[in-house]
Amino acid sequence: MAQDIKPTRKNLMEIEDRIDLSERGHDTLEQKRDGLIMEFMDILDQSQDVRSGLEGDYETAQQKINMARAMEGDVAVSGAAAALEEYPEITVESMNIMGVVVPQIESTKVKKSFDKRGYGILGTSARIDEAADAYEELLESIVLAAEVETAMKKMLTEIETTKRRVNALEFKLLPELHEGKEYIDQKLEEKEREEMFRMKKVKDKKEAQEEAADEAAAAESTGA
Amino acid sequence: MSQEIAVIGSPAFTTGFQLAGVRKVENVADDEKDDDLDAAVEAVLADEDVGIAVMHDDDLAHLSRGVRQSVEASVEPTFVTIGGGASGASGLRDQIKRAIGIDLMDDDDDASAADTEAGD
Repeated sequence: MAQDIKPTRKNLMEIEDRIDLSERGHDTLEQKRDGLIMEFMDILDQSQDVRSGLEGDYETAQQKINMARAMEGDVAVSGAAAALEEYPEITVESMNIMGVVVPQIESTKVKKSFDKRGYGILGTSARIDEAADAYEELLESIVLAAEVETAMKKMLTEIETTKRRVNALEFKLLPELHEGKEYIDQKLEEKEREEMFRMKKVKDKKEAQEEAADEAAAAESTGA
Repeated sequence: MSQEIAVIGSPAFTTGFQLAGVRKVENVADDEKDDDLDAAVEAVLADEDVGIAVMHDDDLAHLSRGVRQSVEASVEPTFVTIGGGASGASGLRDQIKRAIGIDLMDDDDDASAADTEAGD
């Protein structure tokens, strides 16, 4: 790559500017990567708490529905599930963490009162209500987990991108630019040395000519 | 714009969510998961009204490689897998290893393995 550059002073100045800019970009990107990792660590702690809560809620919900199935039968549980009229909704808003847009998910109509569940109070048992309650709580945990895990995915993608950019600058672009600069420096020094040598040769030749002319003049005057 | 929650899995898995009001449900019987689960997941991925999709962690093993990768990378809808323990989805764990360079979710497993060894 370095051999493709024309070894001129103008190109040398351009390369030096690019090195300066790339080094500043590299430092900024490194700071961004470190900042993102710090933010990510906070979210990771939160995510582990949310995850363990979610798994706990899932186990509880499973126990409740298994109990309802065992006591009331599959048909009664499925019938109650089919009778529901109101369904949970989520609204996604966004938040910015170090340039990464992460979602903030809000849920509505997850927790419902008995009369909003659609099945009659008399026709079903308390076990089905308990299972429905447990699953409503599980849904709330799922919404929270979705928010945190989406934020994690987005931050990880940004960390990966930033890391790739830092590596590209550190291991590809900057070494190439330094190699180019070194090549131009060497060539310019070489040119300078050649020029000095040429000047010296011209000077020696000129001095030899002057000496010869002086000698010729001296010989002429002696002869006369 | 408001979106909904979808659940994909066997009828035994989805019924509870239906009790909580979830109406977008893709039922796939256990013995048909190898053939039909991919299509069910793709249908949910294509549904713009779905904001969160819920699956059982074990069901990921029935998905083809491409669909599984889509599930792990998908942000809209976000896939939440449950039943896989406190470490969460394996895709996220791999992504953490790739991006940060260390397995940050390793602590719990190591601690529990150490406890088991100490118990033995």
